[in-house]
Amino acid sequence: MSLKWRIAIIFGLVAASFWALFPRTAVERVKRNGEFVYDTVRRVPLKLGLDLQGGMHLALTVDESKGRVPDKEKAIDNALKVVRNRIDEFGVAEPLVQKAGNDRIIVELPGIDDPLRAQDVVQKSAFLEFQITDETQALEKALPRIDAALKDAKVTVASATTATTADTNKAGLQSLFTADTSKKADSTKKDSTAATGTAGGPGAFSKLIQQGQMPGEYYVAQTDVGTVTQYLALPQVVAVLPPGKVVRWSSDTVSLGNRVYRRMYVLDARPIITGEYLTDAKPNSSPTEGNIVEFTMNNEGARRFRTETGRHVKDFMAIVLDQRVMGQPPVIQNAIGARGQITMGGKDLQAAQDLALVLRAGSLPVPLKVEDLTQIGASLGKDSIHKGITAGIIAVALVVVIMLGYYRFSGALAVAALALYILYTLAALAGFGAVLTLPGLAGFVLSIGIAVDANVLIFERIREELAHGKTVRTAIDEGFRHAMSAIVDSNVSTALTAAVLYQYGTGPVRGFAVTLLAGIAASMITAIFVVRTFYMIWLNRSREAQTSLSI
Amino acid sequence: MLRILHDTNYDFIRWWKVMAGITIAFILLGLGSLAIKPPNYSIEFTGGTLMQLTFTQPPDVGEIRSALDDAGIHGAEIQQFGTNRDFTVRAQDPAQVAAQASGAGNIANVIEGVLKKKFGENGVKVGRREAVGPRVGQELKRGAIIAILLSFLITLVYLSIRFEWRFAAAAVIATSHDVFTTIAFLKLMHLEISLTVVAGLLTVLGYSLNDTIIIFDRVRENLRKGRKETLYETLNRSINETLPRSVLTHATTFAATLALLLFAGEVIRPFAWVMAFGIVTGTFSSIYVAAPVLLWIERKWPRKTGMRQSSSTATPTSRTRRSPATATR
Repeated sequence: MSLKWRIAIIFGLVAASFWALFPRTAVERVKRNGEFVYDTVRRVPLKLGLDLQGGMHLALTVDESKGRVPDKEKAIDNALKVVRNRIDEFGVAEPLVQKAGNDRIIVELPGIDDPLRAQDVVQKSAFLEFQITDETQALEKALPRIDAALKDAKVTVASATTATTADTNKAGLQSLFTADTSKKADSTKKDSTAATGTAGGPGAFSKLIQQGQMPGEYYVAQTDVGTVTQYLALPQVVAVLPPGKVVRWSSDTVSLGNRVYRRMYVLDARPIITGEYLTDAKPNSSPTEGNIVEFTMNNEGARRFRTETGRHVKDFMAIVLDQRVMGQPPVIQNAIGARGQITMGGKDLQAAQDLALVLRAGSLPVPLKVEDLTQIGASLGKDSIHKGITAGIIAVALVVVIMLGYYRFSGALAVAALALYILYTLAALAGFGAVLTLPGLAGFVLSIGIAVDANVLIFERIREELAHGKTVRTAIDEGFRHAMSAIVDSNVSTALTAAVLYQYGTGPVRGFAVTLLAGIAASMITAIFVVRTFYMIWLNRSREAQTSLSI
Repeated sequence: MLRILHDTNYDFIRWWKVMAGITIAFILLGLGSLAIKPPNYSIEFTGGTLMQLTFTQPPDVGEIRSALDDAGIHGAEIQQFGTNRDFTVRAQDPAQVAAQASGAGNIANVIEGVLKKKFGENGVKVGRREAVGPRVGQELKRGAIIAILLSFLITLVYLSIRFEWRFAAAAVIATSHDVFTTIAFLKLMHLEISLTVVAGLLTVLGYSLNDTIIIFDRVRENLRKGRKETLYETLNRSINETLPRSVLTHATTFAATLALLLFAGEVIRPFAWVMAFGIVTGTFSSIYVAAPVLLWIERKWPRKTGMRQSSSTATPTSRTRRSPATATR
């Protein structure tokens, strides 16, 4: 290949690299004053991973803790659509929502400023159900069995404070189970020491709950909610809970006297209607009820709703969202049609907006759980970039000193090639749309040290050839020729390892493998082709043959 | 021109027994320590929660711990991470991993909540939160092991084609040696095994393999020249001839590693440590594992064609007639 062609190719690669790295215009979704607009920005087309630019990564799977899901793959496919809709409405610049494997959804939200809210929007099942509160006192009837089951399970009775405070608040609430003591008096001996006022004391479970204002409603002190939830989850207790009923907590708390309570509802397990008929949902503020979400149902939904509510006039209807009862169940005055509302119970307008958003985007066909979460603050990402670049500059400086000090003029050629190496590698990363991660950045810095290896191999060979008394021109030719097999073999085997890493790595490690591959390609081009060309230019510069080489 | 270790003639392989003793002792020390106490796996592998926190005032670690204990998060590991205002909190107890089953973010939210309560809303900032379910970790472990084994297999095939199977086997055995020494190093340095460290390990393997290949490339070339010498002598000659290159390349690689170690921040530091050790073990194994193993293979399965030297003199044990290092400086 003639020298002219070589120079042309090098300049061509430089031009292509600059073009690949030149800041270009990209259309981006950005949030401006709460509105989402498409905007154009100019930036270097190097994609940064979440660990460098900040953001959130979520891996979601089907949550089977509340029942098995028969066709998981199909469920995930449907859930994927819903999640994508929600993220689109939520508005994030360049989000990524994709399926991984058969049963996982990966969501990546770069530069997100409120991770908890984003997670909530993604994960909220938004499964809306309308259920009638229990009218049959099913829980009261089951209480003796629950207490007995707890006793068999050797569950210790909750602390004394509950019992005493329950007493002090009796004014507002009627304590339910005073009559229910006869056969428990001896069974719960611990109670007698704990409970101060209640004669004999009710059982472990029944003493924690008090009747509310409507059928199927109970009050539980906020501090006891965890205990009650635990009790209700025990298999022995589950076995004796009334059949055909479900227990649900309210979404908000109420203060009575100086105590905070959470309401607990016993509901008919069969919902009279679910949110699948919903066509629209809008946030709103009502002077009497605070923030609300108004929803509209389609014709079929409206018909069903009318029939069912007609059948349950004078009953209480709980609006259950993701197994939480929203607001206090209203009494059904007469049949309800296509429209309704959900009270947010003191939550802010943002919450109402988010709820309307997820209701519109559709409910998730299956509950999803976050299996894996990474969230990195934007400032930490910037810090990482800054440190990575500092390390890179220092690495370059050290390598330059070593190469110049040891190889002098030839070292300078290697340093020039190293500059091209950095340019080509970055361009290759940008050109292939690779994502630069923190390990990738570290790998890149490291590769600066390793990249000169090919040059070192060549230079050492040239030195050997010169030592054998060859002319400069021959020594250079021979040096390159002899070093070639070692360079090729060592680089190819590293490239194969990198390919394996790429195939089996995830996230950051994958980014590392990509950087490694780009680096190997660039170092072979620069060390073999570019430095050779530099030597050729140098040899051609003067008519008479060069007699000595600074190496 | 400036020359380092030029035209040397050290009898490197002569010391192989001593070196084997040293490296075996090191590996046994590491493995023994592993048997007593399993390695620290990062949350990526075990599942669990990691929070990186920045406080406005240097906090008291005891206070952080008591806040976590109050929230029912026991046994969390609290570590300074950079300055005295930066800390990481790791909750990777099996109990806490199980608690994540309902949602990976839960523990992280609890930790953030209690710390904000204790140190004030603006007193602590969450820089990074990671929560990993146990299943992901299992897959990653499998992935990492598959990656290493597969890269060995591919190397074996590639080198068998480019050299021959004896060289390929010796190179892979030398590289496997580096896996063990690096694991021992990780354990003795109390470094946490994370994905980044695994990436570092794989880089070390690639680097060590490079080094071995450079020497073997010389051996291949010297064998072709058909000198009247044993494989033992050829190996020593090749190691000596590639010595200047080794010194230079290790120097530049170490320079880059040093830059990472000192300036790239806490997240990258374990990776840099692995790499720093990798330069040592990679160089060592190329000389003291790959070469003796090649000699051993050669004695067991001598090559039929090409080399004239008798296999008996090619064994590392039969170098009695060689004079001790005739090093000329």
